[in-house]
Amino acid sequence: MRRAEARTYLIVWASLLALLGMSVGSAFIPLGKFNVVINLVIACAKALLVIIFFMHIRRSTPVTRFAAGIGLLWLALLAGLSMTDFLVRMF
Amino acid sequence: MATSAHAVTDTELRTEAADFGMWIFLTTETLFFGVLFFGYLISRIHFSAVFAAASRHTDLLLGTLNTGVLLTSSLTMAFAAANAESARKRPASRLLAATAVLGVAFLAIKAFEYYVDYAHHLVPGIDFAFAAPHAVGAAAFFWWYFAMTGTHALHLLIGIVIVLVMVYRLHRATRTDASLSLQITGLYWHFVDVMWIFLYPCLYLVART
Repeated sequence: MRRAEARTYLIVWASLLALLGMSVGSAFIPLGKFNVVINLVIACAKALLVIIFFMHIRRSTPVTRFAAGIGLLWLALLAGLSMTDFLVRMF
Repeated sequence: MATSAHAVTDTELRTEAADFGMWIFLTTETLFFGVLFFGYLISRIHFSAVFAAASRHTDLLLGTLNTGVLLTSSLTMAFAAANAESARKRPASRLLAATAVLGVAFLAIKAFEYYVDYAHHLVPGIDFAFAAPHAVGAAAFFWWYFAMTGTHALHLLIGIVIVLVMVYRLHRATRTDASLSLQITGLYWHFVDVMWIFLYPCLYLVART
């Protein structure tokens, strides 16, 4: 394997661990609702690093990238439409 | 990727087909885990204060350690696939073995965590006990905790078996086959890692302040 590739992997791994440290650290700072926002933003950043650099989504064909993304769209539709019920219920 | 400017080789075609097929499978897996995340979300909206209290009973140290173990296993998996691509079989199979070892380490830590949860009466249905006003909500939290980490652990176990099969097959495989197999195995392994990346804040970091 090429040196540049190995370096990229190591930088991605170090970034993932740094983000993990940030999510643990931020969890102990009282920020109210922003704790959840920060947790989710960090989780999305970690997921994107894995998907882009380890799963090589950019090497995939456009139709494959479309297939990969469409799952999230379906999930958003299922959750969103279900929410039209759950959010108006008086629990 | 292949354009009309050059003829598509057989290898390119096989790689694209396998990559496409695996991503389709992972899309169905996204929906599988997505349903669990959605159910969790509804429970969390319903019992928001109790979820915060219940989440403090999860083991943050072990959960964080396990996240680190899994992220590292993705690194070794990525290195294994890259080595197979350059026809370096020996380092590839060692890195695969390391990936499997890290996967087993994750499951061992998780099993120990389950045991501690059991000792603290946190397993719904098996002598569950939680401070009176919060018992129902806390049982809901721990139900999701076990359902989601259990589903994840099962996926990881399957991943470990696949990785070990790949170690066995690697020696006899041609360079193209070895490279393609590890690329596809890697997709599954990294997907399971991504699911954990989202499980971790949902279960361990609901409210720590």
